[in-house]
Amino acid sequence: MDKKLKETILNPILKGNPITVLVLGICSSLAVTVQLKGALVMAISVTLVTGLSSLVCSLLRNTIPMRVRIIVQLVVVALMVILVDQILKAGEGTYAIDKQLSVYIGLIITNCIVMGRIEAFALGNKPLPSLLDGLANGVGYGLILVIVAFFRELFGSGTLFGLQVLPAGYIPNNLVILPPFALILLGCIIWVQRAFDKDLQEK
Amino acid sequence: MNTNSNVYTVVYTTVIVVIVAAVLAFVAGKLGPAQNANAKAETLRQMMSAAGIKPTEELYSTKNAGILQLYADNIEEAYTIGLDGQKNGELTTDKDNIQLVDKLKPQNKAIKAGGDATLPVYIFKSGVIVIPVYGAGLWGPIWGYIAFEPDCRTIAGAYFDHESETPGLGAKIKDEAWFREKFAGKVVEWGATPAFRLEKNAEATGAANAVDAITGATMTSKGLNDAMNVWFKAYEDHLGLASAMHAIAEPETNKAEEE
Repeated sequence: MDKKLKETILNPILKGNPITVLVLGICSSLAVTVQLKGALVMAISVTLVTGLSSLVCSLLRNTIPMRVRIIVQLVVVALMVILVDQILKAGEGTYAIDKQLSVYIGLIITNCIVMGRIEAFALGNKPLPSLLDGLANGVGYGLILVIVAFFRELFGSGTLFGLQVLPAGYIPNNLVILPPFALILLGCIIWVQRAFDKDLQEK
Repeated sequence: MNTNSNVYTVVYTTVIVVIVAAVLAFVAGKLGPAQNANAKAETLRQMMSAAGIKPTEELYSTKNAGILQLYADNIEEAYTIGLDGQKNGELTTDKDNIQLVDKLKPQNKAIKAGGDATLPVYIFKSGVIVIPVYGAGLWGPIWGYIAFEPDCRTIAGAYFDHESETPGLGAKIKDEAWFREKFAGKVVEWGATPAFRLEKNAEATGAANAVDAITGATMTSKGLNDAMNVWFKAYEDHLGLASAMHAIAEPETNKAEEE
């Protein structure tokens, strides 16, 4: 694999992580991280949506009229989001998770990462790198989501993937379940990442 | 080609929208039956959980086909009533053609407007009678299924669900088994206002028709309280009457309760 393509894939996961570095997509990372299962499904859904939307927009990039490009991108993203939602609702195993995530699947359309990557990358690059860029950003987003959900489910419910992990006598911490705690956790993750990565530190 | 001309822009956006609409219509048509089957199985799970046919966890680990079979095996009769308490329709219970009234929102509107309602009544072979309740929580709709003992007065079990109540607070009406289990053995006082009370410190009064509200979920509790009382009122002419008839037919059980 050539160096540039490798960069396209790795950058969004670490140095250019959409949540911890670009600080995009914060809203949903607070909302859907109460349980690991929901966070994982959300991560996969967002990855598919960013990947496929970037791919389609990249294919269309030379034909899109510049004056209405945002609207055209929005239509493509909306299509992908509705498709993901419909498929989740139709699957026998995923129906319950879709119900649990409720409006947040539909709200992927407002996730800044999706439109951000199309504007910043897909409109100026070939389809393959655009697809990879979209997928990688989804993975970078999902990674943080899963880390946050891990701590929130563990200390908020005493479970992981719905299975009891902490002893039965553990009293769940209600603060952990509420969205503000996700913000505190995110702050800690950003802190840790910056402590290790000197490039991210301001001079 | 000039991609910035007005004609090009209008034609381009029109074509894109038509293509997207066609794709969505096609997918919705293809996936619709599977989605409806999921929704129906979900409703049946909630009803049978309330009716105590099987433990809730077992129902949720059973596949859709098994749920349909279980319902068909256990249901005695299902019908709908109007606001006057009179039967106004039958619901088939055949495994391959189970009819439910699972769109509760229009029924809720009909109750409030006093219009034509078709309120479902599901009677299981165990004698348990299940009815739905529906109302507004804090963030979105909340609903549930209440199962009555054959005396049409004592609650046998309940199951509640919601669309978007706060996790850890309002969502407890669904997530916490202890909450729904508190309803079993309580009674609905037909004719009284309110017929049932879900309020702060209600249990301390010792009333048989009271359950404590959830701490920290005031609005969800209040919404559920309203939902139950509005729907119980709508069923009063049917179940309240049946309850009175039952008390006359079997006075000894009534007497035992008074003592």
